[in-house]
Amino acid sequence: MAQRFHAALADGDGQAACDELSEETASKLEQQEKKPCEEAILSLELVKGGTVADTRVYVTGALTTLAGGRSDFLDEGPDGWRVSAAGCEATAPSQPYDCELED
Amino acid sequence: MMRRFLRDNSMSIVFLLLFLAALFGQAIAGHADFNDETQSHGDPTISLGRYVLSSEFGAAVMENWQSEYLQFTLFILLTVWLLQRGSPESKELDKAGRESDEQQKVGRHAQQNSPRWAKLEGIPRTLYENSLVLVMTTFWLGTWLAQSLTGAAQYNADQLDHREDPVSWSHYITTADFWENTLQNWQSEFLAVGSMAILAVYLRQRGSPESKPVGSPHGTTGVEG
Repeated sequence: MAQRFHAALADGDGQAACDELSEETASKLEQQEKKPCEEAILSLELVKGGTVADTRVYVTGALTTLAGGRSDFLDEGPDGWRVSAAGCEATAPSQPYDCELED
Repeated sequence: MMRRFLRDNSMSIVFLLLFLAALFGQAIAGHADFNDETQSHGDPTISLGRYVLSSEFGAAVMENWQSEYLQFTLFILLTVWLLQRGSPESKELDKAGRESDEQQKVGRHAQQNSPRWAKLEGIPRTLYENSLVLVMTTFWLGTWLAQSLTGAAQYNADQLDHREDPVSWSHYITTADFWENTLQNWQSEFLAVGSMAILAVYLRQRGSPESKPVGSPHGTTGVEG
């Protein structure tokens, strides 16, 4: 899932990348950037391509860490897993991650 | 034949049915509550089947199971030595302790129809003498471990929801969340056993083996109706 998202970014395919986002995250991005999702997503500083180094799943949430160290958060819904936050970096122990894109 | 079987086993059958009905009800209500909660956070809902297989449901079930098995383990074990004057839950006041082989009908004091392991000596008999507590303790520890594993997954799901790092199992069992979920169940079990032991001194339920006979004096200990 996360790998498909980053591969779509590497291909410059904003629509495919937006298809991997949760509804809430996509609509938040459109509101913030005041552009359609497929355009707005390509203007963010997100990792393009890359491989998943680690995935941890808990109930309906998952944390995926890319080989470069940045992480994505995923949520499981009726249509499967979707990216709810991307381009996240740990700030300090017991503190929330700082994300480039989130719902 | 069938009627007789149902009558002879009505206690275990009725409690099994009550258990299944309550577990089903918990699954329905828990699923609705879970989806209410996720929707209020703007997260997607999940199916009933997915919920029943989730750690969310597992933790809610296991935390109650472990406390029930702990309650019965302690009740069985501590009533070997602890007494309550006047209570049908207590042994007679001069019988505290593990009692003699003769009183317990073991070894050479076993009767013809005693269980085979009660007639043996050594480790097999020691195991059989303590088999109820051993099995209940195993259930308690197994369900408590299951509570900690499912609870850790549930806790970590919340951590991810708050965009925080998940924690390890060994860290989770030191958290206030784990101990609150554990102790809130333990306290209610201890209260129930303690109040049963003392209320049964003065109150009666005609026909129940958990009560003394209605006309038994309050001071009579170790007599069940």
